[in-house]
Amino acid sequence: MSRAFGIVNFAGNNIQGNPMQAYRPTGAISFLGRYRVIDFPISNMSNSGIDSIQVYIRRKPRSLVEHLGTGRHYNINSKRGNLNLLFCENGDENSIYSTDLAAYVENLDAIEEMSEEYVVIVPSYMVYTADYEEFLQNHIESGADITLMYQNVDNAKDHFLNCQVLNLNKQKGVLSLEPNHGNVKNRNIFMDTYVMKKEIFLDLIDKGRKLSSVYTLADALNESCGEMDIRGVSHRGYFAAMTDLKSYFDANEELLDRRKARELFHEEWTVYTRTNDSCPTQYFEGSNVKSSVISNGCLIEGMVENSIIGRGCEIRKGAVVRNCVVNADVVIGKDVHVENMVIDKHAKLIHSNQIIAEPEKPGYIRRGDKL
Amino acid sequence: MKQNNMLAMILAGGRGSRLHDLTKKVAKPAVSYGGKYRIIDFPLSNCANSGIDVVGVLTQYESVLLNSYAAAGRRWGLDTKDSGVYILPPREKADANLDVYRGTADAISQNIDFIDTYAPEYLLVLSGDHIYKMDYDEMLDYHKEHHADATIAVIEVPMKEASRFGIMNTEEGGKIVEFEEKPAEPKSNLASMGIYIFNWKLLRKMLLADMKDPDSNHDFGKDIIPRMLEDQKTLYAYKFKGYWKDVGTIDSLWEANMDLLDKNNALDLADSSWKIYTQDTDALPQYIGAQASIERAFITQGCIVDGLVKNSVLFTGAKVAPGAKIIDSVLMPGVEVEEGAVVTRALVADHVKIGKNAIVGSADSENIELVAKRVKGEE
Repeated sequence: MSRAFGIVNFAGNNIQGNPMQAYRPTGAISFLGRYRVIDFPISNMSNSGIDSIQVYIRRKPRSLVEHLGTGRHYNINSKRGNLNLLFCENGDENSIYSTDLAAYVENLDAIEEMSEEYVVIVPSYMVYTADYEEFLQNHIESGADITLMYQNVDNAKDHFLNCQVLNLNKQKGVLSLEPNHGNVKNRNIFMDTYVMKKEIFLDLIDKGRKLSSVYTLADALNESCGEMDIRGVSHRGYFAAMTDLKSYFDANEELLDRRKARELFHEEWTVYTRTNDSCPTQYFEGSNVKSSVISNGCLIEGMVENSIIGRGCEIRKGAVVRNCVVNADVVIGKDVHVENMVIDKHAKLIHSNQIIAEPEKPGYIRRGDKL
Repeated sequence: MKQNNMLAMILAGGRGSRLHDLTKKVAKPAVSYGGKYRIIDFPLSNCANSGIDVVGVLTQYESVLLNSYAAAGRRWGLDTKDSGVYILPPREKADANLDVYRGTADAISQNIDFIDTYAPEYLLVLSGDHIYKMDYDEMLDYHKEHHADATIAVIEVPMKEASRFGIMNTEEGGKIVEFEEKPAEPKSNLASMGIYIFNWKLLRKMLLADMKDPDSNHDFGKDIIPRMLEDQKTLYAYKFKGYWKDVGTIDSLWEANMDLLDKNNALDLADSSWKIYTQDTDALPQYIGAQASIERAFITQGCIVDGLVKNSVLFTGAKVAPGAKIIDSVLMPGVEVEEGAVVTRALVADHVKIGKNAIVGSADSENIELVAKRVKGEE
């Protein structure tokens, strides 16, 4: 049993650039066909032995609550463990006041009563694999007040926009945090992943609240860099942040490369999700599928290339699906040609013949739309 | 939740010896089918979908895997309060000697104490090794409507094959007048599906008598049903229309898998109103490579396909390397086919590896080749 409890945070106001968020919180967005984004942080916790988990939900809870349920499918001990959904009712969903810090204040009782000494806080809009037990041990051994996880990237000019950047000294001490506005290529992107003692966390909440009503936890942290021992540890391997449609599209497409996929999916590191009990996928005469990831329950008669197909999709005769991320239960009708699109759940593309976007600027078809 | 006052008992003790190496380590009901299922998922899911709360699974032959598999009632949603899947291997009792199940009826007789704890009005007896989707609740309605003492589900088979089955001869309206086991000259083509609904009180009495009968085979088909007819009990045949398959041999197991490749096939596993539930796997979705070619195939999660797959069914985690060809074949869970190997008209057993450039099976073979051991490759 871990000495830490876990918090899965919601995507803040800086991360609201994906049109798919109109229908659900970022954590509930489908990922690589059969998963949801939130499966990754929760599986990381479960695999790291953290089985007291709080998930914060700010808005549109339906799909997330349905997906998480009791959390049984995450292999969390059903008696000792606990997956707790915490809602925030403070004000308007996109209001500047609706921050993670405000959510923690609102649920302070739930945090105070946790019996674990430490807390690991992770985001629900990022996908990566990390061992939080190792993260916690490093933190304890280092004697630091707070440890943050980051990844050094060389594409920060056009990726990870609006994520936080860590400015570090040579000893990996955190000097400050600032948003990534895309003006420098090489950056240490903060993975919104923290470990600290619960007491320090509570102090930080208190401090942030006193400073400003619109502060986030990262803002409060930034104010504390001078007086606290805050350190960064670097993460390697697959790392994606779903900050907008393009990054969501890229994060999925990148995993078509099996070497990349092996960075995220390890043998001994199961990614859990809720099963839908769909039957296997049926390929008919004339189907032509290449370089793609296909979920169960699909009926495929057309052509699919460089695409991720969600559960229960129908790709009819003569259809061409190229470079697309297709969510569950989508129908691509006869002879319809789609390219470079993100197609949201339940959409039906029947009447239009060609729906093609530029690869640099993927298009989006809304949930349940009929075209 | 009290549902229909019917308890189900699934006979899952059979070895299925005509499945050869496939049932060397597991009982027939635990054999894999249809990409991600095991045969016993079908009766269990049917029970769950028919509103039956309590299911006993009678195991005997190589039952370790089957016991732990079926005991996880949660998979089929059989885990609410007052609901559950109970594994019932032969057990030692205070007042009797430990005995194996001597026949299908004896398996129920030895568990009368278990059934009595639920005191159901009706008992549904099923076989654990058939593939079909059926609403037992509708059958129960039929049973009640006809005020029957027992109702037996039957399916019409081609007349020329009827002598392979237990045949029910009925009068108009469905009342059974005669039962013939594998008749040389069948009078009807209504074959018993091995699915029975009994009024429990009556059956209980008959089983107690049957246990003491030294001449009995303790079998439903051979003893209990004929005795009921002799005693002038009311037996009705319930006609089932739909897909039903007894996968007793390698050829029929292969065929049942091939049936899934047809468009709009009768089993319709994609029907979300009658799902077949099974063990969840944590495998990734299917990865289809740049050189893959797939036509008429049924493929499940965890598979990696880089070669050609045609008219074939791939089970969880099967891998087909570049240049390999899988034609008219079934690859069971975890099978790996290496580069350039060709598999034709074969059923490859769980976790078997087919080496580089190996040739397995042939297009004009009479029977399907069962591959149960590693096939070495050629460089």
